[in-house]
Amino acid sequence: MRPFLFSKSTAANQAIAKKKSNTQFIAGGTNLVDLMKKHIANPDNLVDISSALPNKVENTAQGVSIGAMMRNSATATDPTILAKFPLVSKAILAGASPQIRNMASMGGNLLQRTRCPYFYDVTTPCNKRQPGSGCSAISGENRMSAVVGHSPQCIAVHPSDLCVALAALDATVKVMDKSNKTQSIAFKDFHRLPDNNPEKDNNLPADALIQSINLSNNNFAKNCSYVKLRDRDSYAFALISVAAALNLNGNKIIEARLASGGVAHKPWRWLEAEQFLKGKEATIANFEAAANIATKGLKPQMHNAFKIPMLKGAIETALKQCLNP
Amino acid sequence: MGFFDEPFDFNIAAEGRVEGIAKVTGAGKYSAEYKVEGLCHAVLVGSTIAAGTIKSINVANAKQVAGVIDIITHLNKPLVPGLADEAKIKEARLGFAVFHTDKIYFKGQPIALVVAETFEDATYAASLITATYEKTEAKVDFKEASNAIPLTSAGKDRGNLSALDSAVQVVEQEYNIKAEVHNPMEMHATIAEWKAPDKLKLFDKNQGVNNVQRTFSKLFAIPVDNIEVISEFVGGGFGSGLRVWPHTLACIMAAKQLNRPVKLMLTRPQMFYSVGYRPAAWQKIKLAANSDGKFIGMHHQAKNGTSVYENFNEGITRVARLIYNFENLKTEAATVPLNLSTPTWMRGPGDCTGDFAIESAIDELSYKLNIDPVALRIKNLALDKNPESGLPWSTNYINECIEKGASMINWSNRKSTPSQLKEGDWSVGYGMAVGAWNAGRGTASAAIQMQRDGSITVQTAMTDIGTGTGISMQNIAHERTGIAKNKIKIELGNSNLPPAPSQGGSNGLSSIGGAVVSATEMLKSKLAEYAASQNDAYKGAAVNDILLSDTGISLKNANNLFISYASIWDKNKLDILEVEASSGPGAERQKYAFCSSAAHFCKVKVNVKTGKVKLERMVTVADGGKIISEKAAANQMSGAAVGGIGMALMEEQLVDEKLDSLVANDFAGYHFPVNADAPIIEVAFINKPDPNINPQGSKGLGEVGIIGTAAAIANAIYNATGKRLRDLPITPDKVLLA
Ligand SMILES: Cc1cc2nc3c(=O)[nH]c(=O)nc-3n(C[C@H](O)[C@H](O)[C@H](O)COP(=O)(O)OP(=O)(O)OC[C@H]3O[C@@H](n4cnc5c(N)ncnc54)[C@H](O)[C@@H]3O)c2cc1C
Ligand code: SF4
Repeated sequence: MRPFLFSKSTAANQAIAKKKSNTQFIAGGTNLVDLMKKHIANPDNLVDISSALPNKVENTAQGVSIGAMMRNSATATDPTILAKFPLVSKAILAGASPQIRNMASMGGNLLQRTRCPYFYDVTTPCNKRQPGSGCSAISGENRMSAVVGHSPQCIAVHPSDLCVALAALDATVKVMDKSNKTQSIAFKDFHRLPDNNPEKDNNLPADALIQSINLSNNNFAKNCSYVKLRDRDSYAFALISVAAALNLNGNKIIEARLASGGVAHKPWRWLEAEQFLKGKEATIANFEAAANIATKGLKPQMHNAFKIPMLKGAIETALKQCLNP
Repeated sequence: MGFFDEPFDFNIAAEGRVEGIAKVTGAGKYSAEYKVEGLCHAVLVGSTIAAGTIKSINVANAKQVAGVIDIITHLNKPLVPGLADEAKIKEARLGFAVFHTDKIYFKGQPIALVVAETFEDATYAASLITATYEKTEAKVDFKEASNAIPLTSAGKDRGNLSALDSAVQVVEQEYNIKAEVHNPMEMHATIAEWKAPDKLKLFDKNQGVNNVQRTFSKLFAIPVDNIEVISEFVGGGFGSGLRVWPHTLACIMAAKQLNRPVKLMLTRPQMFYSVGYRPAAWQKIKLAANSDGKFIGMHHQAKNGTSVYENFNEGITRVARLIYNFENLKTEAATVPLNLSTPTWMRGPGDCTGDFAIESAIDELSYKLNIDPVALRIKNLALDKNPESGLPWSTNYINECIEKGASMINWSNRKSTPSQLKEGDWSVGYGMAVGAWNAGRGTASAAIQMQRDGSITVQTAMTDIGTGTGISMQNIAHERTGIAKNKIKIELGNSNLPPAPSQGGSNGLSSIGGAVVSATEMLKSKLAEYAASQNDAYKGAAVNDILLSDTGISLKNANNLFISYASIWDKNKLDILEVEASSGPGAERQKYAFCSSAAHFCKVKVNVKTGKVKLERMVTVADGGKIISEKAAANQMSGAAVGGIGMALMEEQLVDEKLDSLVANDFAGYHFPVNADAPIIEVAFINKPDPNINPQGSKGLGEVGIIGTAAAIANAIYNATGKRLRDLPITPDKVLLA
């Protein structure tokens, strides 16, 4: 590993002040340390932010605020989260392993980098790792890659499960920027598509810190589900995942939410399908129709045409599971 | 006081494993964990191309890194005598001559070794080394390369294939299996220390210390006895430790060059291309039967990948000559050279691959014939004699394995037409397959040291790669001597101990068991000799009449005539009584054929919407002769069954044909099964001793647990869905698109 300096901050503004050039924040380190070991991230300085940020779930006027340093495992078992936002818990528990979830922070989870195998192999071209070097996945092994929103520069997918649930629930991300000003970023605007700058995963302002993730109260707690399809049943990233949530009045859908992982460079919302379900009866036929709408017009790669029927099946399954959570 | 501060009671019986407590408390040391004075750390740098020659290597930046001691390349290596010229390199059979050539055969091939004071320094410096190459065209695409390679005969033809043309039912299909990587939990590691210019000590992860000893004795032209190899604890091998690999030599070279002990542990990414793998395979089967299900014959063709610098033939068609009677049989094979590292034996080598195709074809045939797959198999088993050699089986209870397994899984619940059982979006199905393995035995030695208090230590050089060799040695020694188990200590995995073959090919216990039996007999005779000086009745006593206990010796007849060990020790002024014995196969091998076998059954659920396959139940019943240690044996079987799940459903080493590169070299990209993927594996044994194979009557179990598992799963998927999947692994995408 490349030598680096390590320091610890106990307050957000202090951490930001330390963010000189080629400095990186480190939270749980479950992603960053791997990237450093593979010489993909090569910081000169690490600033440990684990004591600098909130690590609790707090009730707010509109809902809850989850501290950026709250561990994934603690969030998944938090009574407030389980009662009000069980979808978040389900998604977290579908990811990684208990050991990793114990270390992983909420903020870090949003900022984890893609698992595209070429991104991790420094002997191969990759625009995300080394802008302008080319994309090995497009003409290579792209079974895991995106089927929507990709660009000729990059076809990678965002690996997080948590983020799929947060996207479905319209979370907001509270950040503190370089000049110590705070702002809220809507979840749909937090991550970005690759376009011509795949090296940029998200729209977090330079040197900014994520302070918390905020969720507004909703009526989805009763009927929600998270379906994750992967090559093995635990400890694997999603081929396809679906977060589904229904606000039901009897059998009538007042509002539906549908989001997916494993399909795009960012957690993806199936807005048209959601719109279709609104006001409809919660029936298998309507679920199938919604799944058809969502999977229309997708653009798979050479090795992942299967993601279309799989996504369709996953959406139907997730919606059905909403009825029997 | 925290849990870890609590003292452990080391007197509790190690019920499953003699080494169990040492393993779970961390007291047991794996190769990389030994503390050696003055140790420095080595990290390998791999080639970034797959074929060509090295033009230049730039080590300047790496040398600047604090803590770096030396960087070894082909330009400055210490010459290894056994690699001094091309002829010697060939003879050494080490694969490629590490640092003794500028030729590159595969991506990742070591081109430099950084040695530094810490592992971190070495790793960082290694990342700064660059090289330029003269690149030549590389071939890594097995499928494409195999088209150009012709098949040649693999074994004697039986009868005539034209007989297949008159068959009532024929299955003719192709089967493809992706490469699989062993990936034992413990990464391969070596600590090398030259104790003198011609004396070498190695802590090394391997499956046979004597093999390592012999290899380096030849390479460095020093006597075998000058090399000490220690592999007391091995965190899994699955075949990857049966060969000596170039990285171990690299470590020893560095220790020589620096005159300091050096540790080299492969990184997980390096594990994917440094210690072998199960090669990718293509097969074609033509299987024909009469309407009553009697097999008429089979044509089995197979190709497997190998490297461009070595030929590794898996022996895929071998199993075609083991289990069933085929009056007409033709087997053909070929190897396909690729710019990848050399593959090697991996659990159930060859047979596991071949058996998948044969057992899939038989299943397919059973539906065509409308005969139950269990009945079809039983009808065609070669139960009386080995169909190839014609020798009668010493024992072969494969039919009993099948019958028992069928009853355990409630085979009668299976529907004879596919897609009949539904649970919502899930289709349920049953499948089965069998596997067998030539049961071998090697010559091994064991020693016993006895103390005045009657406690004994049983020793062998054999490594225990996790199979339970130690507990089985203890059980055999206990059974043969009557000495209490807690007074029997086991020492193994050290080349200073009596020599033994490598642990592999399901031969471990079969080989060492006989040596332990012989040693106990020698111990009895020796004690009787001493006892004879106190009582004439012991003179010339037959081994079977000599009884030992925790405290002394007695005779079966004549009122026992007990004599305590203490009095023998005192009268003869003994310190330690030591015996050593060797035992190996003999004339029985000319009279009989030997095999282990297993029947695998499973019940699967397949989600028709998502392609997800879920194993509901797995039953595996094996004939391993007499079961010496039930827990360890069951552990072998269930571990192998989980390996079979990996082979069937997820394990595949992908290769990028454009970049000549392996894709994904970590556990996020290469999936092997975890607990969540496996049901509780239901294991049972026939447990009837084989009276001829060895004194203890046990037949090896390491391989048969995995041979046939993948076919059983694929067959169950067919029964559930009507989708016949002939390419492994059967990932959900294949199920969906079939
Ligand atoms: C083997 C393995 C399997 C995994 N499987 C899954 C899975 O199935 N599903 C899934 O969702 N995830 C999975 N993960 C990813 C895991 O969830 C993330 O690694 C983890 O959430 C990252 O959190 P961290 O606190 O450890 O981040 P770190 O590694 O500490 O940081 C990651 C990045 O975020 C930055 N950062 C962290 N916190 C902040 C902050 N508050 N403000 C600004 N920047 C910040 C760091 O500078 C760094 O760049 C897996 C990880 C591993 C290693
Ligand atoms: S898909 Fe993106 S991350 Fe993967 S190789 Fe292409 S550019 Fe790199």
